[in-house]
Amino acid sequence: MAVAKSDASLQDKKGERLAWAFPLALLLPATALMLVLYAWPFVSSVYRSFLAKGGELTLANYQKAFELYFRDVVFSLEVAILSTIVAAILSITLSAYVRLSSGRLVKLISLLYRLPIFIPFVVVGQMMRTFLAPHGLLNIFLAQVGVIDLNAPLQLFNMQGLVLSFVWKQAPFMTLIILGGFQMIDDAFVEAARSVGANILQVILRVLVPMNRASISVAIILAFTSTVGTFTLPFMLIGGKIPTTVTVDIAHRVTYFGDWGVANALGVLMYLMVLIMAIYYLRYSVKKGIYEA
Amino acid sequence: MSRSKILVKAIEAVVLVFLCFFIFGPMLALVLWSVAMKWFWPHVLPQEIGLDYWAQALGLQKSLAIGAVSITDAFQTSIVIAVLVVVLAMLIAVPAGYVLAKYRIPFRGAILFLFLMPQAFPQQPVFVNLLFSFNKIGLTSTIHGVVLIHLMVSLVFAVWISSAAFKGIPPELEEAARSVGASRLRAFFQITLPLAAPGLLASAVFVFLTSLDEFTGTFFIGLPFISTLPMLLYSSSGYNLQFASVIAIVLLIPSILFMVIIERFLKAEYIGGVGV
Repeated sequence: MAVAKSDASLQDKKGERLAWAFPLALLLPATALMLVLYAWPFVSSVYRSFLAKGGELTLANYQKAFELYFRDVVFSLEVAILSTIVAAILSITLSAYVRLSSGRLVKLISLLYRLPIFIPFVVVGQMMRTFLAPHGLLNIFLAQVGVIDLNAPLQLFNMQGLVLSFVWKQAPFMTLIILGGFQMIDDAFVEAARSVGANILQVILRVLVPMNRASISVAIILAFTSTVGTFTLPFMLIGGKIPTTVTVDIAHRVTYFGDWGVANALGVLMYLMVLIMAIYYLRYSVKKGIYEA
Repeated sequence: MSRSKILVKAIEAVVLVFLCFFIFGPMLALVLWSVAMKWFWPHVLPQEIGLDYWAQALGLQKSLAIGAVSITDAFQTSIVIAVLVVVLAMLIAVPAGYVLAKYRIPFRGAILFLFLMPQAFPQQPVFVNLLFSFNKIGLTSTIHGVVLIHLMVSLVFAVWISSAAFKGIPPELEEAARSVGASRLRAFFQITLPLAAPGLLASAVFVFLTSLDEFTGTFFIGLPFISTLPMLLYSSSGYNLQFASVIAIVLLIPSILFMVIIERFLKAEYIGGVGV
């Protein structure tokens, strides 16, 4: 193993074949595990979506998926698009506020806003079940301020509640990524814009946002993909009600009917929902390497 | 202070109050429910509070109430699984992370691609198809099966975080050790590994939390026999709000506590991956 090569001796091209053997051997367990436990089932999910019960290739699973669950496919997309848009606006605003202000209050906010990021979805689900319930804390609060009548509370175990819950979890996560980008921008740019008379909105839209397209795109992509693919939260908040999300339908299809064909067709539809974003993210991350923020 | 400045401050204050309510309201609901002995509509706050549900859930007090849950078994299962996952994940991820940080290797792009895929696509179809395969080989509803699932979910993060830890160490240090006669192995164990230790520890903690909080994979592979804390939380949330709230808080505290400590070792993009 003394022939292994490090970064510093890369210029030395001799014996390269042998030098690869050692690092590749160290990479083998991780790569093999991901191939067997991730790549293989991923490919299977696409393959089985075209497989009839008898084993022949067919489009019947897709036909059945559309017949039974078209409404849920639209619902899932609506939830993901709506939550991502709301979370993006909130997180860009919050990031800009923290970036452009100073003082103790801002420091406190920049610590506190992170809390939801660390809370697992199953806990978020439980929280929102109590918070958003017809007589839960949100409705009680709104009734106290006089916005609603508690005899006709807001019903939130539906799309609105789901979007609200996703925004609660994703907006702080997006803020973490976007604020990181904003903080890399030199004060000089902000001051230059201010000195020629730009107001705060112009500073955000003309300086901060354009200079941070990459971090904002990554935040939007990861939030959208995670929202489309999350099973836990809709399962706990909405469950089998109609309409529900595709992720809940997949679980239903598998656990009640053992119907792998339709479940996988729905899975592939989910891949298609995020496909363009996934390609952008993969190309961007592989090209950029993994260490730069 | 001019009138417009006062207005700005006032708007700022109102926005902050709503933001705080938005962030803390759901958490407050959880805390209130976990101590609510009696809370009937339309009372704004619980009529009677106490720690009985906590005592029963933690197994300190026997309960005869219908639907009472003791979390001690699920807690043990969760910890055993999480510890196994941490050990296996670190054994696999540390060498892989080291290679990705320090060597230029063939197929690098393809390997990065493979390790980034789970972030870029929904994972549920993968769990479903693993369930199909695990059914055939008898891994469903076993500790082994759940450990494998958690390992798959956490491994990519473990590799990235470990790799970043190694990347931060200047290669000159290891070379200096080797130039005075240390073998490559010795240089690694005496120089690089100790310097990377904080980052690797952060990686291990991240893996631990990922396993502790994992729901979706365990739901497909672990049920009905393997009941971790998130599974118990789900199954009790339907009929017993108080117990579910207690479990939720038990899961929430280590997540927040440790993530706040290790956050500086993590790239923002990975943090969203915990507890799916």
